[in-house]
Order: sequence, then C-alpha cells, then structure tokens
Amino acid sequence: MSLFGGRSPQPTGSINPERVEMALQELDMITDVFNKLVSSCHAKCINTRYAEGDLNKGESVCIDRCVSKFFEVNKKVGEKLQALGAGAAASPGGGSSFGSF
Amino acid sequence: MDFSSLNPAEQAHMTKIIEKKQMQDFMRMYSNIVERCFTSCCNDFTSKTLSSKEEGCVSNCTDKWLKHSERVGARFAEQNAEAMNAASK
Repeated sequence: MSLFGGRSPQPTGSINPERVEMALQELDMITDVFNKLVSSCHAKCINTRYAEGDLNKGESVCIDRCVSKFFEVNKKVGEKLQALGAGAAASPGGGSSFGSF
Repeated sequence: MDFSSLNPAEQAHMTKIIEKKQMQDFMRMYSNIVERCFTSCCNDFTSKTLSSKEEGCVSNCTDKWLKHSERVGARFAEQNAEAMNAASK
C-alpha cells in the first residue's frame, strides 16, 4: 500500500541489504542470549516443586544475581574473544569480524 | 535495540521482520512451557487425565515461568542499558 503512488511500499530511502543483515544478526544474537539466560537462570533458581505460582524471595534474589553474573561471564568471554580477534587482526591478513562488539 | 543507524525504509523493514519474529518467539515459548511443565509436573500415568495436584502444578509452573522471564527481562534491560552507557562513554 503506497500512499505516494510509487512502486515501492517503503518510506523514503532504499534498503541496504548489508545493513539490514547486520541489524538482523545483532537482533538474533540478543534474542539467543536472552533465551539462554532465561532458561539457564530458570534451571539454577527455580524450584521445580511448583508449590506456588509466584516467585518467592529466594528465587527473586537468585534471578537478579543470576542475570548479573551471566552478564559478567558474557563480558569476560567477549573480552577474551576480542583479544583473540585483535591478535588475529595484528597478524598479516588476519581481518576479523569479532572486534565490532 | 538501537536501529537509529538505519534509514526509515530499513527501519520499516526491520519492524516487519521483528513482528514476524515475535510471533515465532511466542510459539516457541508456548511449546517450551508445555514441555517444561509437563516434564516437571506429570510423572504419574495411572490416569489419562490431569489430577488436581498436577493441574495446580502446571498452573503454578506456567505462572512462575512467565514471572521468571518477566523479571529476567527487566534485569536484562537494565544491564543492557548499563553496558550501552559504559560503551558510549
């Protein structure tokens, strides 16, 4: 449905597939990290007896710490990989796509 | 997420893709909860219907999962914002 009678249904500008692809990759990565975070903190913090439907105090605190720790681990691993990427980039011909995050 | 580097056409395109992904995520969450709560709550197969205990368990399990992922989402957003701030400094 074009308001301006043009052939393209998009608003102004053209789509650069590369940029969209990058944004999608970022989105997929974040979604993936989030889903992993939810399921690993669930496994670590939630009692599977399911005596109540609410999060109890202990579980809530556990979740907060779990998320925080997960981020720290994420950061640490990121730094390690970045160092690896930097090392590879420093050596001749070693262009790396790791450096961007 | 920050898509401000994209032009309006690209942003519109992204919005469409995100909507599609949200639907997929929802369906995945659905089957994920079913599997999780079935595994945790149903271990007795001497009857083909859910006992009241199992039913309660499934209900609590679903509620708890939703509250859990809500809380994780809130913390995730906070941490993400913090990381973004630190990165832009």
